[in-house]
Amino acid sequence: MNEEKFIEVDNLQKVYEDNGYQAIKSVSFNVKKGDLVCLLGPSGCGKTTILNMVAGLLKPTSGDIRFDGKSIINTEPKDRNIGYVFQNYALYPHMTVLQNVMFPLTVGEHKKNKREAQEIAERYMKLTDIMRFSDQRPVRLSGGQQQRVAIARALVQEPKILLMDEPLSNLDARLRLQIREEIRALVKKVGITTLFVTHDQEEALSIGDKIILFNNGIVQQDDIGQRFYLEPNNQFVANFIGNPVIDNFEVTVEGGTVKGSDFAFDQNLLSEDRFKSPLEDGQYMLSVRPENILPVDEEDGQLTETIDDVELIGRECILKFTHDGHQARSLIGLGDRELHHGDVIHLKMALDRVFIFKPNGERVY
Amino acid sequence: MKTNNKKAWLYLLPTIIFVSLFSIFPILRALGMSFQSGPLINLQWTGVSNYQYIFTDPEFWRALKNTLLYAVIAVPSALVISIFLAWSIFSKIRHQSFFETMFFMPYVTSTIAIGIVFRYIFNGDYGMLNFLLRLIHFPAPNWLDDPSMNMTTLILFGIWTSLAFNIVILMGALRNIDPNYYTLADMYGASGNEKFWRITMPQLVPTIAFLLTMNIIGAFKIYTEVYALFNGQAGIGNSATTAVYYIYNKFQMVGTPGVAMAATVVLFLIILVVTFLQRKMMKRIGR
Repeated sequence: MNEEKFIEVDNLQKVYEDNGYQAIKSVSFNVKKGDLVCLLGPSGCGKTTILNMVAGLLKPTSGDIRFDGKSIINTEPKDRNIGYVFQNYALYPHMTVLQNVMFPLTVGEHKKNKREAQEIAERYMKLTDIMRFSDQRPVRLSGGQQQRVAIARALVQEPKILLMDEPLSNLDARLRLQIREEIRALVKKVGITTLFVTHDQEEALSIGDKIILFNNGIVQQDDIGQRFYLEPNNQFVANFIGNPVIDNFEVTVEGGTVKGSDFAFDQNLLSEDRFKSPLEDGQYMLSVRPENILPVDEEDGQLTETIDDVELIGRECILKFTHDGHQARSLIGLGDRELHHGDVIHLKMALDRVFIFKPNGERVY
Repeated sequence: MKTNNKKAWLYLLPTIIFVSLFSIFPILRALGMSFQSGPLINLQWTGVSNYQYIFTDPEFWRALKNTLLYAVIAVPSALVISIFLAWSIFSKIRHQSFFETMFFMPYVTSTIAIGIVFRYIFNGDYGMLNFLLRLIHFPAPNWLDDPSMNMTTLILFGIWTSLAFNIVILMGALRNIDPNYYTLADMYGASGNEKFWRITMPQLVPTIAFLLTMNIIGAFKIYTEVYALFNGQAGIGNSATTAVYYIYNKFQMVGTPGVAMAATVVLFLIILVVTFLQRKMMKRIGR
């Protein structure tokens, strides 16, 4: 058994027959046994499509999916050994919590007798801490409690893989933080390999052992969380990950000088070892995380800007300014400096932390 | 507070006037008339004599028996067939809306018109039904002209006419069931039967309760179907007479409005009790 490749998705492609829409162009990735992997991306990027193909709810146009080395493309969903949690949980409203959790064990060819089913169900209900709601109907429970019922129900058949489709998006913000930690703790305790679909980068960064970021039906980056932030593969990843969003400045490289609309610096100031490919003359996008472009004294500044707005976000604040017709941001600590709307500031970029992308999104620096 | 109350009564006034005039007054009037005898223009108080009359009238008992028979057989049968058809259309058939429209057509067609067509179908000599029965060597009874067959014919016709409404309402209810319930059940390996009995049926309980109430009330008031099917009669020798047919007959044909109203009051009480019991029962099942 290959632990590293517990789930293998190989060259998967999905074209919807009715309208010819190519939802998934070509996707390959591996999931390690016991890992919690987040499938992340903006809406319409194909992440749920992939989850549904893994679950067997959708048939891929081409490509292969293997669980533990065996292709499951032609296996019925019920024989794939998976648990699935829907965004709306889909708890059966006419059944009590116990009946809901027992349901998978009391149907189908492998159904268990009632006592055995109840024993197993109660084991998982203890694990998810929902024993005290045993005789209640799901409608009486809060969103977080319903979520736990859905997870317990997904686990009772003791599947090898747990699939969750945006399981937190029906919860309010504070609960979401709490439940995502609970989910991580739970799947780690059970030791089940989990695919978790989300559009929320923070959620993915906080709970995923690994994140796979999708856009336009292809994998943009398949990596551990912090690398998305520090080493984005391309322009899309840099733009998608990070809050506040990254600042982008159009620049031209000409004869060893990097020139923006009203700033310029020598190419030699960039650190040699961060280049992915040589910086040839031409058009580029210079991308800087807001915390890497900070107000400095006038003589050190590369840019001179007027503050449009100051936004407080807890212990930090965002200075917003307009550069070359686009809004850009600088993130400073609260109380570092007292700044207001209309103030003129001088900004300096940390050139050893900026990124440079080609117009096609490919990263150069 | 006081002025508010006055205003509220003012807003309610139009409704109160119309409800009193067209619902409450007729009920009270009917109740009053059931204790009166004579022609409509010269009613005399005669106590409970009308009630004594109907309870000793074998015709009234036959009407009640037929109505009850119809309610007990036609309503559940129609409901079971409707559930089966609605589920089939919903789960197995393409072009759902086409079939749904087709099944709904009888509902928007007049019962009298349908009755005329059914008279042709049920005709003992050249009817389509008997033609088909003879083809497969089944006995071909005289549906319309044999008194012992009249109630059967009426029940068959009643089942057919009530399918349309039931199916449309059931289709709506089926569409309201979250499709994810079935997706998950499939993943758990549930069979078609398990899905139907453990997910679909419990989800349909409120709808079925509603249809059962409507259908039973409708069954107790059956009249048009009788009239249409037997060409303005209540079957051969009044063999398919029903409660409302009895009321109509006593009121319009015989000219004893008091007797008709006594029968009306009795029917009203029966419907009241049955509906009450049924609601209690459905509530228990729902739980």
